[in-house]
Amino acid sequence: MGLSALGLYGCTQMSTGEELVRESFFNNVAPPGAVYLFLAALVGLLVYGFVRHASLWMIGKPHDQPILREIPHRLRNALRLGLAQDKVRRDRYAGIMHWCIFSSIVVLTLVTAQVAINDDGPVKFLKGDYLLFFRFYGDLFGLIGLVGVGMAMNRRYFQDHARIRWDERPEDHLIIGGLGLVLLTGFFVQTFRITVELFPDHVSWARWSFVAYGLAEFVRIFDFTEGQILFAHKLSWWTHVVLAFSWLGLIVFTRLDHLFFAPVNAFFLRTDSPGRLSRIENIEEREIFGVGYIQDFTWKQLFELDACVRCGRCTDVCPANLAGQPLSPMHLIQDLKGHLANVGPLVQRAGHEHGDARAASPLTMVGEVIRDETLWACRTCYACVQECPVMIEHVPTIVDMRRFLVMDEARIPATAQQALENLETRGHPWRGTSLERTSWMEGLGEVPIFDGSQEYLYWVGCSGALVERNLPITRAVFKLLRESGASFGVLGQEETCNGDPARRLGNEYLYQILADQLVQTFKSKRVQRVITNCPHCFNTFKNEYPQFDGRFEVLHHTQFLHGAVRSGALRPTHRVDASLTYHDSCYLGRVNGVYDAPRQLLEMMPGASLTEMRRSMSKGLCCGAGGGNMWQEEIGERRVNHVRTQEAVATGAQQVISNCPFCIQMFEDGVPAVQPEEDGRLRPFDVAELLERAVFGPDGGAAQPAAAAARGDRG
Amino acid sequence: MHLVVCAKQIPDPETPPSAFKIDPQKNEVIPAPGIAPVLSQFDGIAAEAALRIKEKAGDTKVTVISMGAESAQQAIKQVLAMGADEGVLLNDPAFEKGDPHTTATVLAAAIKKLGHVDAVFCGRQAADWDWGEVGILIAEHMNWPVAIIAKGVELQDGKFRVQRVLEDGFQTVDVPMPSVITVSNEFGEPRYPKLQQIMQAARKTVTSWKSGDLGVDAGAVGAAGARLKLERLYIPEKEGKAEIMDAETPADQAKQLVEKLKAAKIL
Repeated sequence: MGLSALGLYGCTQMSTGEELVRESFFNNVAPPGAVYLFLAALVGLLVYGFVRHASLWMIGKPHDQPILREIPHRLRNALRLGLAQDKVRRDRYAGIMHWCIFSSIVVLTLVTAQVAINDDGPVKFLKGDYLLFFRFYGDLFGLIGLVGVGMAMNRRYFQDHARIRWDERPEDHLIIGGLGLVLLTGFFVQTFRITVELFPDHVSWARWSFVAYGLAEFVRIFDFTEGQILFAHKLSWWTHVVLAFSWLGLIVFTRLDHLFFAPVNAFFLRTDSPGRLSRIENIEEREIFGVGYIQDFTWKQLFELDACVRCGRCTDVCPANLAGQPLSPMHLIQDLKGHLANVGPLVQRAGHEHGDARAASPLTMVGEVIRDETLWACRTCYACVQECPVMIEHVPTIVDMRRFLVMDEARIPATAQQALENLETRGHPWRGTSLERTSWMEGLGEVPIFDGSQEYLYWVGCSGALVERNLPITRAVFKLLRESGASFGVLGQEETCNGDPARRLGNEYLYQILADQLVQTFKSKRVQRVITNCPHCFNTFKNEYPQFDGRFEVLHHTQFLHGAVRSGALRPTHRVDASLTYHDSCYLGRVNGVYDAPRQLLEMMPGASLTEMRRSMSKGLCCGAGGGNMWQEEIGERRVNHVRTQEAVATGAQQVISNCPFCIQMFEDGVPAVQPEEDGRLRPFDVAELLERAVFGPDGGAAQPAAAAARGDRG
Repeated sequence: MHLVVCAKQIPDPETPPSAFKIDPQKNEVIPAPGIAPVLSQFDGIAAEAALRIKEKAGDTKVTVISMGAESAQQAIKQVLAMGADEGVLLNDPAFEKGDPHTTATVLAAAIKKLGHVDAVFCGRQAADWDWGEVGILIAEHMNWPVAIIAKGVELQDGKFRVQRVLEDGFQTVDVPMPSVITVSNEFGEPRYPKLQQIMQAARKTVTSWKSGDLGVDAGAVGAAGARLKLERLYIPEKEGKAEIMDAETPADQAKQLVEKLKAAKIL
């Protein structure tokens, strides 16, 4: 860590004959080996810190993924996300700043190690040309480190960056200021040494230490005696050594520990889809279902808490937080971390007993440390997971606590409860619908029922069948499928909810019942390929049903339609003439990475012009309905759909296009609130509705149900 | 204390209108395909009222009884999952197609067979036929007092203090034990069962009693005993007419509208 590059070991070179070599222990700053005492103390401290942390992680339950499988994949993650810091770079300024500091620390640590090996090992390799290069890059990375520290100070003290204030602690000043001082004192040591060395005639090689050399020339202006300079050298050497080791000691006590935890957590990162929540095995035999006590988390979830650096990127992109609702993922993780530190040791002593954990804490974890409304405000949109530079997976942790609320405590917001009860008794979450699952078929002629002979099952879903606004989307997809000549059928009355809302609301038991049932239905009907209307059904079938031995090839309708247009099976020949903005639904976009197919589809429609919103693709903002919030009253300053609608309106587009029935409903609700004037209002449509217009023309041929009809229905 | 909850399973009131069909010949509702019957919502609330008393008083048994088809087990299990202790299904073809009076006869016989009972909780009415009589008639059979349409029930000094909903306010009455109380939706939502309780309820066996077990005369219950006769069951035809007020200014339109409404004796 910058120790000796900057003169820790005193690097003087003497010209002996032809070759330059290093003189060890210049100026006799300290007895040989003194530095190793510091090093031993540091290592001891690090081991102590690790054991203390690890003993807390061990109170957790086993992780549901075998951590020692798929090692190459995990190592790639550790390299890409840990070492190369892919996610840190998503914020450009912070990315550059962090890279400066990180690379400086890594390179200067290597520099130090080389000096130690050179001085105390059998081979003297710091000589000749390599020594010159060594001096050069030592100084260069010292300088880069200072640039990083400067950028950090600028952001913290001059830019007044909001995120930094959310949870600022004294240690933060210590970390930045400390590192700055370590780097500076390192340069000083070298400067004074070079100043002394400049008296004889060694100028040409000293210039390779370009920073220290410059400073040395400056020091030479003043007429110090050699004794004074040597004293200053000794003083700065000791300051540097003490500061450097103290700073490294901060790893044990502050968030500097992310130095180790971040790459390790990248190694631990789930290797399957983020859209897959854990399955509770043998649910009927359990006594506790969710996570209500700290020791019911897995060790990996507890480890994650320690990895958090309070950077606030998660909270910065959280839709609930943006709308002033009671959820900040960063504070949630920090609150759990604090709770772990408070109760963890007591739980450990009490031998993992639930009762004791309760007694150990003056606060109950779910309800007091983490309030119910915080958990319910989550949209499970994965924006936090996407941004987290230390690879924390917030969503599964939140859903685990919801599982506790729903299954163990039966504490649920009234409207969410009604949705769950409706799922139990009626197999769909839409209480009060007056539609049947076949209502959308009216006037479409013969609708083929899936019997195993067709290639695709077109899965309409509850929202596509039972919510008035979505019927035109369902009809549009159907007509396009028919037009494309695809071999497909539907289940009609036999469709039931696949369980997604139950799982995300925390009722894993109900989810498993619904999922088991549907997997059986699919198997008995010999379903192999499914086209879904809704990205939530898509995610469930694709990523979660394999947990129930249901393996199907799943396409979202935008993917299928994209293929059909490209192959020429569908020809969008009619002009749509509209300026559009495209909204990525979380479960098609961020969770499943489908960004391009829908966009390309829009671009293939004549007369469509696409403008992106401020947040789009992997940075897209949730519509507000995710995580069961479709069926909840929102608590907070604003509604999430108003925030998102505002962003869509700001593009100046005439239409906002999405791919999800929930998003469309949220926009339909949001537009009148954001644009009170009816004239020139933004109009929400599904990609399929637009394609229907492009393929069939404005009247859509027979039984044209799309935009106008939908508007009429809604009155 | 021993409390009894009467629970009825009814056709789902949320059946989409297009799926709701009747057989005009038999004067019967044709069960909508794929739509399962549900617990009458008022009975869930009655169960909630009984369970809250149980929680406060402690040492209380709650028994849920239901008269109906085998499928009514489902309604009983639902109340068991909420926290009731035992369930009894009164299932006999002889009980079918009766009227509120015959239903009350069967339920009262079952309550007597249960032995000591301190109170019976019913929904204010069943959400299918909306008679709102069975609770009252049970009280008649038992010769007990009855308080109907309660929005609050509390145990006080060995009596129930019942808050009743009136058309234009509330009334608080004290009802001694034993008694019948019918509970209204103003009481509040029934609880969502904990998963542990759902599992326990699933393992419980529901007792089944027939007319012989109850000692009721098969000729006095069900269709044979019914004194109410259903003349005709039909779905009313809905007709909508719109008339646009045709006038120059909105004020004139309003005037016209008021006159029309007066003529139709609405104002």
